[in-house]
Amino acid sequence: MLTLQSLSKHFGGVRAVDDISLTIKEGEIFGLIGPNGSGKSTTINLITGLYAPTTGTVTLDGYDLTAMAQHERTAMGVARTFQNIRLFGNLTVAQNLWVAQNGHEQRRAHFLPRWFKAGGEHGPDIEELLKFSRLHSKRDVQASALSFGEMRRLEMARALASNPRVLLLDEPAAGASQEDGQLLAERIRDVRDRGVTVLLIEHMMELVMGISDSIGVLNFGRKIAEGSPAEIQANQDVRAAYLGSKHKDEDLIHA
Amino acid sequence: MDGFTISVLTNIALFSFLAISAWILLIAGEISFGQQAYFAIGAYAAGIATAVWQWPFVAGIAFGTGFGAAVGALVAWPTIRLSGLHFAIATLAFAELVRASLNVFSYQRDIDGYATGPDGANGFRDIRWVYEAGIEPGAYLVIVAGCLAAVIALVALMARGRGMARLRIVGEDPILAAMQGLSVARTKIAAAGLAGGVAGMGGALYAHLATYIEPAQFSVMTGVHALAYGLIGGLGTVLGPILGVLIDIGLLESLRVFSGYRMIVFGGLVALVLILRPRGLLDERNVHRISAWLRR
Repeated sequence: MLTLQSLSKHFGGVRAVDDISLTIKEGEIFGLIGPNGSGKSTTINLITGLYAPTTGTVTLDGYDLTAMAQHERTAMGVARTFQNIRLFGNLTVAQNLWVAQNGHEQRRAHFLPRWFKAGGEHGPDIEELLKFSRLHSKRDVQASALSFGEMRRLEMARALASNPRVLLLDEPAAGASQEDGQLLAERIRDVRDRGVTVLLIEHMMELVMGISDSIGVLNFGRKIAEGSPAEIQANQDVRAAYLGSKHKDEDLIHA
Repeated sequence: MDGFTISVLTNIALFSFLAISAWILLIAGEISFGQQAYFAIGAYAAGIATAVWQWPFVAGIAFGTGFGAAVGALVAWPTIRLSGLHFAIATLAFAELVRASLNVFSYQRDIDGYATGPDGANGFRDIRWVYEAGIEPGAYLVIVAGCLAAVIALVALMARGRGMARLRIVGEDPILAAMQGLSVARTKIAAAGLAGGVAGMGGALYAHLATYIEPAQFSVMTGVHALAYGLIGGLGTVLGPILGVLIDIGLLESLRVFSGYRMIVFGGLVALVLILRPRGLLDERNVHRISAWLRR
């Protein structure tokens, strides 16, 4: 469904992403892993349009996204969260959601009158999302006043509010405890069960191995492996990239 | 009310237009040192409309407002893609350009045997519509306050709907806003047009009160003050910039307690507030707190 075809991004002489091809199937959770600096975040930024690729294409269901602006890709059904949480801190929780929900209205003709119309935030979608994210009691709280975990949940809810077909999660477990990781895994499955395809970038190996249907591994901007969690765990190249070749098998499994 | 009180209140109301104008752009994430230019443009346009073209007062004010808005949006169109400091400097340059142009702008017509209209650095005399209609200062204060109330109501309506959130969004995180499908440039141009219109309306009302305007009245210091009002009053509500005006003109200037030290006290106050409350006294957090308290 989401296809990256020979995607590259060079910053000067640095090949942050080097000739990566991936296919993410509809309805799956795809884990993208790799050591620090292996090009995971750059890949997400290429998919969402924050960066323009040096070469290669990104297609969603056959539609070429490569030349599209960020908001057009959002409208096509690509949504994301950020590694360092990004929210509108001065807006309330509910406002953060309806901004995303109503984001695509700039192409509609009645653009200005909407400036003065209340509502939107009372749509059933938003209430449902607030419940889904366990933020219902916080709907009128300023986003910057939320706890770290609540901000993460709001970010995911915000991404879902744009009604995406594929959701890109950039290290959603960063800064989370072990138990939070468990909840997060359930939450990501819930998202998948809503019919949203998930591309998960993560360091917490347990999480990725536990919930991913397929996994891609990057190292130094190149794809070194792709397959099921079991295949990846058995892969020698992956072990070498992550742990250095001299480590034993158990280390990867328990990491 | 005595004449002094009326003139202080009218001054507060007129400066509030300018302060709200700068505040709107602050909300949209842009710092403008040049809103006094739109105040000047509104003043000249409205003055020309009523004094030279002999339009009725309401049409003159509307013309000044519309002209300010149009120029505001027009200037924003090429400059809004500049970011932060570059935009701020562009506004400063534009304001000085307007002032320098008004210094050489002459457009006079013979009205009742007198050459009427702007005459470059000599200023623009006899904007007499209000005076000739016999409107007392007290009544004019009501007109100015009414126009200000209309502006506040418009912004409040935007705050209830989506408009204000739009401005805040592009102001806070343009990248995220763009990802959500908001056109950052278009929103900022709309904000600049709105800000230009509000300043233009203030200028139009000012010209008819003063009856005489000259380019030197619209100096950079006026614009810097306008910006400071929003910063000390707060970015959380449209009442913030008005609070700033009240503090400066209502307390510091009018009470005369600080007499010669006014600017020192005001400057110190701005610095203090910026350190202690970077988004002003009525910042978003306080506004949320107050509105939650009021709802109880």
